[in-house]
Amino acid sequence: MDSIITTHELKKSFRSPRGSVDAVRGVSFDVARGEIFGFLGPNGAGKTTTLRMLTTLLPIDGGTAVVAGCDVAHRPKAVRARIGYVSQLGGADAMATGAENLVLQGRLYGGDLATVKARAEALMEILDLAEFAHRKVKTYSGGQRRRLDVALGIIHEPEVLFLDEPSTGLDPQNRANLWDHVRALRDRGTTIFLTTHYLEEADALCDRLVIMDHGEIVVEGTPRDLKRQVAGESVVLSLRDADGAGERASALLGAQPYVRELSDEGDQVRLYVEDGGEALPQILRLLDAEHIGVRSMHLSEPTLDDVFLRQTGRSLRDAGSGTGDEGRAA
Amino acid sequence: MKTVRDTGLLFHRYIVQMLRNPVWLVVGFSTPILYLVLFTPLLKSLPGVRGFPTGGVLQIFLPGILALLAFASGSSAGFGTIFELQSGLIERLRVTPASRFAILFGPLLSGLVTMTVFDAVVVAVGVGFGFHVHWAGLAVLTVLLWLLATLMGAFSTATALVTKEISAFAAVINGINLPILLLAGVLLPISLGPLWLRVLAHLNPLYYLVVAARSLAVGHIATAVVWQAFAVLVPLCVVVLAWATRVFRRAVA
Repeated sequence: MDSIITTHELKKSFRSPRGSVDAVRGVSFDVARGEIFGFLGPNGAGKTTTLRMLTTLLPIDGGTAVVAGCDVAHRPKAVRARIGYVSQLGGADAMATGAENLVLQGRLYGGDLATVKARAEALMEILDLAEFAHRKVKTYSGGQRRRLDVALGIIHEPEVLFLDEPSTGLDPQNRANLWDHVRALRDRGTTIFLTTHYLEEADALCDRLVIMDHGEIVVEGTPRDLKRQVAGESVVLSLRDADGAGERASALLGAQPYVRELSDEGDQVRLYVEDGGEALPQILRLLDAEHIGVRSMHLSEPTLDDVFLRQTGRSLRDAGSGTGDEGRAA
Repeated sequence: MKTVRDTGLLFHRYIVQMLRNPVWLVVGFSTPILYLVLFTPLLKSLPGVRGFPTGGVLQIFLPGILALLAFASGSSAGFGTIFELQSGLIERLRVTPASRFAILFGPLLSGLVTMTVFDAVVVAVGVGFGFHVHWAGLAVLTVLLWLLATLMGAFSTATALVTKEISAFAAVINGINLPILLLAGVLLPISLGPLWLRVLAHLNPLYYLVVAARSLAVGHIATAVVWQAFAVLVPLCVVVLAWATRVFRRAVA
């Protein structure tokens, strides 16, 4: 694999009034040139902290990271020249126009005025911002602003673009639009590294991803392979709550040979089965015979949430009510 | 070379932004003018009081106002920094290869330019009230004021980066500003005060600038107080700039 990012046992801890917090505990992974690589995990998992170490914004406490051929700890300047970074906040200047923002950014990367202007114009065209180029950023909508942030990150044609929670705060339409632009960028040869806590985003956008939890990598692979690990399909049963229906149903269904795995989530029972179509009538018949009322029942393909659940025992949707400000303390 | 270029680019950004915000400019202009118009009349009876320096009232008062302006323009720099931290701008700049010194100094330089324009207006209005201009003295004073504004600006910016949020930053800056201003004799000369106050004032860097400013305003340039002011401000300025650049270089935000 032609790796553009390689990390080995990357570590970071923060001092807090309650003692030291290990935000990233020995993370090793490789990102191949030209792929969209994702970090999926709940808030506080250490995704942003890892990304901030890779982008030279946070000193590395332990381990090594090489980005675009340069060691991050020893050659931060060389790394900065080769990467683009779009933070959660974006950081565009609201009082300046989109074009002015891009030109300043391009020139700070060392470009001369003529080249940078031409590049800014071309980028605004590509990202559907041309008609707003000379309006102040404060008049932009959320989606337009996000696209400008991305333009700021790639004005100098970096080898790797880092996106931190790129679609946070975007409506579904703008999110899909942003994904299209990110894929187009990958197709033109830029490697994309992104963090997200949206399952759909990781699934739809990433060529490969790692799932992170409590500062460690839980599992790594393509979305397809990861989902395949969770065998079969999942059946979610919602039960009428009558004298321990959940427990009785779990005991009953857990004993069936076609049920691979089962988790009791209160008034919901989630089963993993080989073939959902075949299992559904059998399950219904069984519950009916035992007089366990079923409110609803549905069958779903495994999602990355199932992968997360399997690996950590928690659902990603419930996990990490955490601090929400990971990486802010330094 | 790169540092100069980056500083120029960032200076341009900040100057343009300032000119786009005329409300801020009006407030900035009106403060020193209000001091001149509303405070100077109170000083009319002071000459002749024991401890009051010789020379016209405005030769004493106007240099104090210029020092106050430089101090305030520098120490308020961090409010902008806090805003830029929260909008992600600082982080966006820090991830570019731009010189760290330029990221610090670009905005400070635009502050110096605005301050110098304000100073010119204050002097022009002062002349209307009877201030007598000694050009050479004023030129040297301008250099001292730049030093002070840069020193305070770098201190304020770095404090903003360390405190990270507006309430903590405002508490630190306001807590420091008041004693420094009072102990410098900005409005009334410290020489009017008792011995303990005069001794205490010598621990305050701003005091040296204010004393030198009053000497320069009456055209006394080659005096001990002027040299002392440079001897205090130049090293302090270098140290604080180095510290603030270091804060930018390290992880903040």
